[in-house]
Parts: sequence; structure tokens; C-alpha cells
Amino acid sequence: MIQGALAGLAAGGLYAVLGVCLTLMSRLVRVVNFAQAATGMFGAFCAVWLVTHAGFPVWAATLIGVVIGGALAAAIGWIAATWLSEADVTTRSAMTVGPLLLLISLSFILFGNKPQPFAPIIAGPAFHIGGVVVSQVTVATVGMAVVIAVAVHVLLTRTSMGTQLRALSERPTTAELLGIRSRPLSIAVWFTTGIISALVIIIIAPSQSNDATSLAMLIVPAAAAALLGGFRRLDLTVVGGLVLGMLGGLVAQIDQVSLVRNFLPFLFIVVLLLWSQRKEVWDAAR
Amino acid sequence: MKKKLMAAAALAVAGALALGGCAGAGSDAGGDIVVGSVNTKSGAATFPEASQAAAAVFDAFNAAGGLDGRKIDYKALDDKGDPATATAAARELVGSDEAVALVGSASLIECELNAKYYAQEGILSIPGIGVDTGCFDSDNISPANVGPFNDMTLTLLYGSEELGLTDICVLLEIAGSTRPTYQAAIDRWTAITGKNPLYIDDTVPYGASDYTPYIVKARDKGCKALAINPVEPDAIGQVKAANAQGWDDVTWLYLTSVYSENFAKAISNAGAGIYVPAEFYPFTEDNDINREWRDLMTKNDIPLTAFSQGGFLAAKHFITVLKTMKGDITRETVSKALQEMEPIENPMIGTPYHFGVDNTAGWPIVLGSGTHAWEKVADDWFRIPEN
Repeated sequence: MIQGALAGLAAGGLYAVLGVCLTLMSRLVRVVNFAQAATGMFGAFCAVWLVTHAGFPVWAATLIGVVIGGALAAAIGWIAATWLSEADVTTRSAMTVGPLLLLISLSFILFGNKPQPFAPIIAGPAFHIGGVVVSQVTVATVGMAVVIAVAVHVLLTRTSMGTQLRALSERPTTAELLGIRSRPLSIAVWFTTGIISALVIIIIAPSQSNDATSLAMLIVPAAAAALLGGFRRLDLTVVGGLVLGMLGGLVAQIDQVSLVRNFLPFLFIVVLLLWSQRKEVWDAAR
Repeated sequence: MKKKLMAAAALAVAGALALGGCAGAGSDAGGDIVVGSVNTKSGAATFPEASQAAAAVFDAFNAAGGLDGRKIDYKALDDKGDPATATAAARELVGSDEAVALVGSASLIECELNAKYYAQEGILSIPGIGVDTGCFDSDNISPANVGPFNDMTLTLLYGSEELGLTDICVLLEIAGSTRPTYQAAIDRWTAITGKNPLYIDDTVPYGASDYTPYIVKARDKGCKALAINPVEPDAIGQVKAANAQGWDDVTWLYLTSVYSENFAKAISNAGAGIYVPAEFYPFTEDNDINREWRDLMTKNDIPLTAFSQGGFLAAKHFITVLKTMKGDITRETVSKALQEMEPIENPMIGTPYHFGVDNTAGWPIVLGSGTHAWEKVADDWFRIPEN
């Protein structure tokens, strides 16, 4: 049992990192970015292309790929900041579905629909617990999730930049009147989460099914993780991601329920929604 | 005025269509011979190469003068892996395009859905790659390839009899109603060898992001070898999951679906080896057997895969039969010729092709750790013994 749960940790760390990015976006720039994983996927595919077709060394290609992932996210952010700055969360989020589909199609056109030959940056087992090997990828993704969540928390609560960001997300007009420049700040947030997504996807891709659709659709479990924190709390998002990954590993070990594994994120989402809306009455919830 | 023109044009088009529809499949006016195929070109798992290869064969045939000047008009439709589209595509080809036969299809779902319709319309199909159960149990469909079910028996036989492996576990990715057919393939292996799989896990999902839990489970149960039927991306995920767990002494018994240059490039650590009974003569060998296929594919920029071998062979078989025909070329005469054909010998296949006869031979190949290249591990076809 415990072995199965540990086996799902690598995926859990990945969900947590992407979930933290989603939470960050929803808190600071009022958007649920559906293209969060897609931009990372595209950056990662560019990195692979550079290695296989242009003969770049892996580290350089990784660096360029990560920057491309960040730039793509920044481009979407620029669109949101320019034309949808006053729009509500729903509209801004719906806009990101466009880039998601565009990037999947574009990567089919440019790189084909086959999985990519990723050169692993991190590979192999790290240490053993109870007969299960904890892979280095697991250590990397879980570590990344925790470090990023802590770093973001510190940034938001202890720095003036964090204060400005919080001001912008909570009172955009007031913040603008005070002279806080919203567009560069919000695009910087997009860029940063784009970088993080691309990096974690490049780390995880060699040990996963890595075709465009599988990678871009990592947004579903990531959203489930972010939902546990209500798209507000980073700590709960990290917990949500790790729990979801471990649950996935766990149900795969039990024949009777292993079928559930395919739609586990959806179940997770439904249960969370039912729980969080439990006190709502019909009139208010409508 | 414009409206009137449009209406007149529409009427003219409708009339032409109606007239065209009246020229039934039975009337052989010496025009083009229409041949169709239904393929999964887009969707979750795609097989675009088979029909591309068949099209290349037909183009070359037409360029060389066709059948006494009559050209083959090849229509390859996409079913998107969607049942409604697959049945509609079959009706379009058979009903309105008046195809005389279906050649070179490769679809995830098409056979099972359309087999009854083909029987009702009296049309025969030679898929380049038969994938689903229906391709292998219909009198009207006879694929050019071995198929995943016989391939599963072959890979198990090779693992237990040639490699002497014990504790083989079977992991299955099940799409549609293939589960009983896979069970029959495993039972056939049991009947021949008296051996049973250590356990069967039929819950392995298509296109999962992380196969680690399934790999951990297999390792816990004490599997020494894994016989799996995945599509290529999933296989890469499975091997990588085992790599990450440091499971380096496992033998992989896969099917032809993973036999590609792309897969070989993606895998560095293949455990104790990845073994596949290739459904056609291994194309990674550069020799005369595959030369014609290789040249044609390279010329037309079609990927060199087992799928394109299947499409190529299906078209070749069809042309061979077409050339033996005297008189009218209609659906009835083509179906009759296919049913009465002489078996076609071809070094690319281990069982001579004969419509309705199962292919039961694969060529064992291996992908070793760190080699990034498939190699032959036998000098002849490996066959399922008659039992």
C-alpha cells in the first residue's frame, strides 16, 4: 500500500508545482490559466528540437526551452493585460483556452504527434524506503513544489514587490491611481509561472508519456490540486497535489478500484466542490 | 438574378450527383477503379502511415500505366477514432463512391463497426493494419498484418520458449471490446506451452501520464518479464517508469506497435532487453527484402514504420489479384477474385497472404540497453505452432 502511494509521489510533486502556479495566477492576476501546462510543454518540445535537430548541448537547450515557455506565458499575459485588464475572472480564464488548443495543434504541426525523445536531466533512483525506490525525479518535483510555495509566500508577505502585487490583485484601480504599474508587474507574474511550468515539465517529461496532449492536459490534476486550496492557499495546494498523486499510486495497486485512476482528478474535483459548497442554499448558490 | 443563377447551379449539381449515383457499382464503363480505406489519422492513437503507403503504391501503379490504362482512384478517409465518423466514412466509400474494395485501412475501431455493413454490401477489405477484434473475425476483412492478438501469443511464446523466462506478467491496455480476444491469445499460449502468466492486469490505461504505480505493482508481485500491448508513447512511459525505479533486470515483451526508430531513440535503458515479434520483415535491416518498400517510402516522405509496411503490402496484394482478373472490374468480380486468390508469397511476411487466412509469424527483434537500435535475434520467422 505505502509503496504504491510513494510511487505516485513524482506525479504528485508535478501536480503540486503546476497547482502552485495556478494558485499564484489566480491570486495575483485574476486568471485560471488553462494554458499553464501547454506553454511548458511547448517550451520543452522546443528544447528537444534544439537537441535533436540543431545539435545544442542539453543544458543550453533546456535553458532556451524554459525561456521560450516563459515568453509564451508572458505573451498570453500581455494579451490579458492589454485587452482584458478590466474583464472578470471568467472571461480572462476563458481566453487562455485559446492558447491551450493553439499550442497543442502547433506542436502537432511542428513536432508531429509522437512522443519526443527527451534527454533526462535528472534520472535514476535517489534512495530506498520500505522496498520502494524513490526516484530523483520525485525528490526534484516534491522539492520544487515546497520551495516554490515557500518562496512565493515570502515574496508576497515580506517584500514591497509582493505588497504591490497583492494591491494590484485586490484593488487594481486604486493601485493604478497610486502609481503602481500594473502591466509590467502582471506580465512578470505570467513569465515567472511560465518558466516554472516549463522547467518542471522538462524535468518530468523523460519519465512520463510525453506527447503534446498528455503533457498539456496535466492542467486537470493541477487544477484539482489548486482547488483544494481554493485557488488561494499555497500550502493546501501543495498538499492537494501530493495527496492526489499518492491516491493515484494507491488505487493503481488495488485491482477493484484501479479503474477509478483514470478519472481520479475529476472525482477529486467533484468531491471538493460538493464539500466546499455544502453550506450553500439554493437561492444563494444560483 | 444572382439568386436565380445560384438556384440553377444548385439544380445542375444535384442532377449531376443523382446521375452519378445511378451509375451503379455493377456498371463497368472502363473508368477509374475506386478503392477506399478508413483510417484513424487524427485522435488519441493514430495510424496515418498505412494508407499513405498504399496511396504511394497506387500512384506508382497508375504512373506505370495502371491496369491496361485504367487508373486506381484511391480515397483514404479519416475516422478520427470516432465511431460515428467511422461508420459514415464506410458508407461514403461503399455507398456513394462505389468502391470495389477497401485496401490499406488502419483504424483503431473501424473493423468491428463496419464488418456487418461490408458483409451486407458484399465488399471485401484488406486492412494494412488490423487493430481491433473485428479485423480478425470477419469473413469480409483480412488484414495484411499479424495483428495484436496473434502478436501477443507470439511475444509470450518467444519469452517463455526461446528466452526461457518464467514469471511472465501480462499488462493490458484495453480499448473497446478487445479484452476477451486478448484472453484468447493468452489462453492459446497456455494451451501450447502449459504455462500461465503470473498475473494479468487489464486496468492499465491508455495515455496515462505516469505508469510508475503499475510498474511498482508488477515488481512487487515478482514479475521477471512483462508482456504488454501499449501504443508507442505509453510504452516509452512504462520503460521510463521502470528506469526511475531502478528495475534493470526486467525483460520487456512488447508488440509491433513499439517497433520504430523513434522508440529506439527514446529508450536508453531497456532493462534486460525489449523483445518484439515484428509482424513484417524487420525494416531496420537494410537489405533487398525491404528495398522496394524503403525506396518508395523515402521517395514519398512516408515514415519507415511497420504500419507503412502493412499499407504497402495490402496495396501490393490487391494489385497482384487485380492483374489476374479477366473481364469487368466490379465489386462482385473483385470480391470473387480475392476469395479465390492463390496465396501470395512475399519475403516481407512469414505466412503467404491468402484472403481469410490468419498470419501467424513474426520476426524476433530486440532493443538492447544503450544501443538505440533494433537488431534481429533470429534468422527466420518465429511461428505459432499448429495445435
